[in-house]
Amino acid sequence: MANLLWLQGGACSGNTMSFLNAEEPSACDLVTDFGINILWQPSLGLELGENVKTILKKCISGEIKLDIFVFEGTVVNAPNGTGEWNRFCGRPMKEWVKELSEAADFVVAIGDCATYGGIPAMAPNPSESVGLQFLKRAKGGSLGTNFKAKSGLPVINIPGCPAHPDWVTQILVAVATGRAGDLTLDEFHRPKTFFSSFTQTGCTRNMHFAYKVSTTAFGQRKGCLFYDLGCRGPMTHSPCNRILWNRHSSKTRAGMPCLGCTEPEFPFFDLNPGTVFKTQTMMGVPKDMPTGVDKVGYIKLTAAAKGMAPKWAEEDIFVV
Amino acid sequence: MSENEDAVATARDTKYFIDRYGLSPADADHDMLLRMIEDMFADGLVTEVEPFPETDREFGKLLDILRPLSADELREKLVISGWILEPYGPDRMRCQECMYYLVHRRWCDLPELNLPAKPDWWCRLWRI
Repeated sequence: MANLLWLQGGACSGNTMSFLNAEEPSACDLVTDFGINILWQPSLGLELGENVKTILKKCISGEIKLDIFVFEGTVVNAPNGTGEWNRFCGRPMKEWVKELSEAADFVVAIGDCATYGGIPAMAPNPSESVGLQFLKRAKGGSLGTNFKAKSGLPVINIPGCPAHPDWVTQILVAVATGRAGDLTLDEFHRPKTFFSSFTQTGCTRNMHFAYKVSTTAFGQRKGCLFYDLGCRGPMTHSPCNRILWNRHSSKTRAGMPCLGCTEPEFPFFDLNPGTVFKTQTMMGVPKDMPTGVDKVGYIKLTAAAKGMAPKWAEEDIFVV
Repeated sequence: MSENEDAVATARDTKYFIDRYGLSPADADHDMLLRMIEDMFADGLVTEVEPFPETDREFGKLLDILRPLSADELREKLVISGWILEPYGPDRMRCQECMYYLVHRRWCDLPELNLPAKPDWWCRLWRI
């Protein structure tokens, strides 16, 4: 039996909604098949008020063993570092986060906000939001660079806006069943099993990427979304096209450009009208190249690819 | 230019094409559109090749100007896009390598232009 406690900070509850949609395994499977005891969760917990506070205090004192502490949302520090803007059970949430993290064997940050600060931490960041152990790419966050949970692992980051439900439940099962030692984390504390490949890996538009045929308007099934519509699939680490959403689709498969939501810098755009779904360019060349590709190589590759692109690459081959 | 002036200019353009070719650009096929474009340049059409839109913001502003133009406003499309019938600059940029160019259809697929083009042509909406 592994005790799990889940709290929310500066969050929209999107990761909770995602978690409740998990299928492989489902949220119920965690309890019935994998021995996870959910002590409390904002959408599932039955306790209210003082009863929640009692659970938290017992976790901190050790009266209840806290195996896994899950946090969703940013740690809010405003105003002036006090955290008073996000109070929970009678005190700033940031204080609960610190003490519960120190008490837990494993600390898991779910979603962009908890991992890297996400949208709430965008400049000018009025809520003084940070992630648990990062603020965007900078290490530190709320718990500090050197924080390690009792297990010896730092915060396990599962980013995404929201995180895919199966990433969440599969990591929780690995931790709860004693296989945390199998987890290897990348420099941003993301489990490599999910975040080594790219969103582009498995994208159904890859052939259009290869032959440099662009999607030029929403709704087109031909073309690649990278060249004009701002897709960040070639430089975003996620398995969105390997572990499909709702088991059968993904943003790019549905014609929606990847926004790069599993990377620390998300959101990348300044969110002014017309900038989000448009590839950012400088002198006609994308500012952000596919990972590992330089500008000269990109231009040469484009010339070669367009020169040999087959006719079908320009057509909509997905006939209904 | 006011809406009324716009309408007058469009009507004048349409009349010009109908008088010369018997149909307007909106009704022209691929080859006829190519002919219309080449004829306009042969007649001395000068387009706004510069400034090149260095950033996507500047690029977007040009698209905003082009978007309301009708298919018959071919002359305006060519002028605003900085269209020319040869490669451009020391790097010899041309349609052939542009992301919007469909090499088999010989077509600029940028919705705001949506015109036939030859591989060695270029415009300032070029992007790779």
